[in-house]
Amino acid sequence: MNPAHLDYDVLADLAEGLLEDDQAASVSAHLDTCADCRDLSADLTDVSRILAEAPAPSMPAELADRIDTAIAAESLNTAAVVSLEERRGRRHWRILSAAAAAVVVLGGGAAVGTIALDNTNGEQGSASAPPQDNARSGITGSQQESGGMAPNAAPAPAFAVARSGTDYRAGTLAAQVGQVVAGNQKLSAADAPDTRLRDCVLGLAGERKPVLVDQAEYEGNPATVIAVPGDTPGKLNVWVVGPECSAQNQHVLKNIKNA
Amino acid sequence: MTSVSMRRVDEVPDKELLARHAQGDPHAFAELVHRHRDRMWAVALRTLGDPEEAADALQDACLSAFRAADRFRGDAAVTTWLHRIVVNACLDRVRRKSVRPATPMGDDATFDAVAPKMPDPTDAHGVSLDVHSALGQLPFEQRAALILVDMMGYSVDDAAQVMEVPPGTIKSRCARGRARLAPLLGHHRNRREPKNVGGVEGGGMPK
Repeated sequence: MNPAHLDYDVLADLAEGLLEDDQAASVSAHLDTCADCRDLSADLTDVSRILAEAPAPSMPAELADRIDTAIAAESLNTAAVVSLEERRGRRHWRILSAAAAAVVVLGGGAAVGTIALDNTNGEQGSASAPPQDNARSGITGSQQESGGMAPNAAPAPAFAVARSGTDYRAGTLAAQVGQVVAGNQKLSAADAPDTRLRDCVLGLAGERKPVLVDQAEYEGNPATVIAVPGDTPGKLNVWVVGPECSAQNQHVLKNIKNA
Repeated sequence: MTSVSMRRVDEVPDKELLARHAQGDPHAFAELVHRHRDRMWAVALRTLGDPEEAADALQDACLSAFRAADRFRGDAAVTTWLHRIVVNACLDRVRRKSVRPATPMGDDATFDAVAPKMPDPTDAHGVSLDVHSALGQLPFEQRAALILVDMMGYSVDDAAQVMEVPPGTIKSRCARGRARLAPLLGHHRNRREPKNVGGVEGGGMPK
């Protein structure tokens, strides 16, 4: 038995160049004369080789899907906010009729008829103003949530959804929309739009801010009536879409321009 | 649903993908993860030993990286940054949940390939204690260093960047880890010629 027998720690340090020069020299000298210690040193080399040769696992498909889904959900939130910010920044609001401006608020179910145009969402290039400023300057209480600008919701809808209870008819659609928009009919608030409805509405409305999104009935069947300002003041472009309306397939049942 | 259109992402460098992601491109980060997920998974699985824990850690890491992308500093490779987040997510799990890496779950086929539950001492490959169980005997820092350097082929300097320690610390952790693993993996393996022993490199991986 060699009294200077080496252990794995010293040999591992030698291999990594961690020993002081004089110690490294004596360890190397010992290795030259001791087959047992050379075996130990070979064990260490084998450790690295065995580790390197261990087959690398591929990510299981379920986990890949799960992570993709988690990232997509995270992207959706981020993208929705970014997209909305872009929309706000892009929008230049022409003059809305007073009635239309009122309905932006009425959509949430509160009758406030005296909203100045610059208090509603995004108009007059005021996109950089914090939402709270809009809320403070005339809309009070819970109504601020329905002004098309929900400061605490993320992603915030660019419009509110109403439930007027109207059964719209093809022959009288324009007149019925006009009545609802003008505030002659009592509205009850619906929930904030879900993602699908929001995409549907934004897809149809394009650059124009909806003055009415009404989850009601059309010819006796559930439908959503969407109105945006027309090409001339006081006129509206109206769509009636089925409940399945999405960004991809809008299910337009009826469309009137400049009603 | 967004106004950001799908872009072609082939051949785009990692850093460019990360920059696009930071600017709001909703597809860039997923592409980045697709590129590197197998290696990230290998690090997480080997570090934690438990596939369920590793899956949770990797998801945590991906979302952390997603949110922290704007804090990426360009002085390291994106993969280094990603692996640092993965290793840290694993370390968080070790600390929080007292993971016992030596306990195989046994229901994951890919994992079984790495870590047979009943190692055969006469195994032709000479692995007397399976790699997975042996790694589970090491402290986290030694295990992570060996996974990066010996298993994943990282250079000592790159591993040092991943773990945010000096290169000498990586060397020391690798040396300690190999010394502990040697008796565990030490039986029934092919001997090399003794004359090769003296000058052998510790890393064992082509750099």
